Amino acid sequence: MKTLKRMRKDLILYVMLVPGFIYFTIFHIIPIVNMKLAFQDYKIIGENTWVGMKHFNTLFSSPAFQDVLLNTIIISSMKIIFIFPIPILLSLLINELRFGPYRKFIQSVSYLPHFLSWVVIAGIWITLLNPADGAINVIRNFFNLPSLDFMTSKEHIRWVLVFSEMWRSAGWDTILYIAAILKISPALYEAAKMDGASTFQQMRYITLPAMMSTVITVFILNLGFFMNAGFDQVFNLMNDSVLSVIDILDTYVYRIGLMNGQYAYATAASLFKGVIGLILILGTHFISKKITGKGVW
Amino acid sequence: MRTFSVTKSIIQFVLFLFALAILIPLLNILAMSLSDPARVNEMSGLDVLPKGFSFINFEIIFSNPLIIKSLLNSLFITITGTLLNLFLTALTAYVLARTEFVGKKLVLFVLIGIMVFEPSMITEYLLMKDLGLLNSYASVILYKAINVYYLFILMRFFQEIPDSVLEAARIDGAGHFRIFTRIVLPLSKPALATLALFYGVYHWNEYFRATIYITDPNKWPLQVVLRQFVVSQDNKTMLQGIEGMTPELLASLDFGSLQSATIVVAVIPMLLLYPLILKYFTKGTMDGGEKE
Repeated sequence: MKTLKRMRKDLILYVMLVPGFIYFTIFHIIPIVNMKLAFQDYKIIGENTWVGMKHFNTLFSSPAFQDVLLNTIIISSMKIIFIFPIPILLSLLINELRFGPYRKFIQSVSYLPHFLSWVVIAGIWITLLNPADGAINVIRNFFNLPSLDFMTSKEHIRWVLVFSEMWRSAGWDTILYIAAILKISPALYEAAKMDGASTFQQMRYITLPAMMSTVITVFILNLGFFMNAGFDQVFNLMNDSVLSVIDILDTYVYRIGLMNGQYAYATAASLFKGVIGLILILGTHFISKKITGKGVW
Repeated sequence: MRTFSVTKSIIQFVLFLFALAILIPLLNILAMSLSDPARVNEMSGLDVLPKGFSFINFEIIFSNPLIIKSLLNSLFITITGTLLNLFLTALTAYVLARTEFVGKKLVLFVLIGIMVFEPSMITEYLLMKDLGLLNSYASVILYKAINVYYLFILMRFFQEIPDSVLEAARIDGAGHFRIFTRIVLPLSKPALATLALFYGVYHWNEYFRATIYITDPNKWPLQVVLRQFVVSQDNKTMLQGIEGMTPELLASLDFGSLQSATIVVAVIPMLLLYPLILKYFTKGTMDGGEKE
């Protein structure tokens, strides 16, 4: 009774919540509930029929899916190993610049690519890596190295993914680290200078330890999104000659689902990805809370 | 007293190289778009100044009905999308921020669930199909009307408005909706401006949903046309639009420089907003990092 009375009193609040409620129900909850399609066969007319684990069995025994899973793991790992340390290094370097026009210039330039769409970045990188006169090959030729067609080379395309992602996000990712560095008390540096610590020693013994908790948080959060190897990026940089080495779970779902119309089978693949992703995110959330006191949300 | 330090100079130089690695590819595209198309093939990827100077690429682009149309589509989607985003996000954030009501915990729990579990692009597509929204602007505008993460940011901002302000309004007899529109929204202008930029950049850059949901080229946003022309190297899309061109314009076609110019057109609105973006985004992100 009491509850009902309170709800009546707050009626206007519920009314204000209605548009959001309708939106989330239609565009989030229904598509999630409809992922039950993974256990069904899709029928254009009439009810879908339940088929249990059929699609999952096909999925796990399919060599194509195994390749895609492996690609996702390899690309994600490469990105974490090679990209993760760069913003840390960059923020240490930027921190050594005095607050002034030069520092402002470096920071403004470094954030810029973060705001470009992957379509634009793909356009820029395809030009940059052009075998005839792209900047990278011009530099290679200068050092007497032969031109390479990176975009169609199975050996190099994953590195293209790593470096283009680095180009796009390294600067932006310094923001949190620089915020952490700015909180360090200047007195520590003064004391270190008195004792004759070099710039490098100050970085090594003051700045780096002070930003460690931020570093750990960011690293753990990155692990949580491990299954997202970068759909937008791969979607825009892929071509037939390299598809086999950079096809990831998301692009696979797109291809077999939306291009080939195997809706149910593709939904099974994304449900698999979603569940693994969910476990990773929840797992990292709790680990992060334990270690650093900060969670994913 | 400032002494010359080798370490500092090396650091400044390394960061200079880093900035060049970002700027050269961007300036190279700009230079190619502004060059005389006849001389573009003399240029290498390291050139950051145009060879010759000509606006011809932009004349071609802006005489292409397909590009004009898509530019207008992008503007329409970005503006209406952002306004809808702001209204719905603010309205929902208000209810969740200020007041205790029965069921609030459940709502927050569901929202976190939505934030961490993405639906499949297949079921999203089928939903759009069932709703009859395929091939409409609404499909790209509606599907991300509220971003849960931004909703939480705005919620936190609303929670910082002092209770006394709202209490005073309540005593004067103002209801929730009045308090929301007359007090909370005007007080939150900086936060709303930040979110408008977040959402605006997102809408401007979105291409994937438009690619799969919208099949009629007349409804494509600019990024989709750009993708066809630059990434998929589909020159037909581009040629379709330029049937009514004068012979001089046709003679000056160079696809490489035309592609560069299309990229530039897609980036310009972003660059115009960039000072604002730097002011709001980076400050906001820094504050966010310091909060905990």
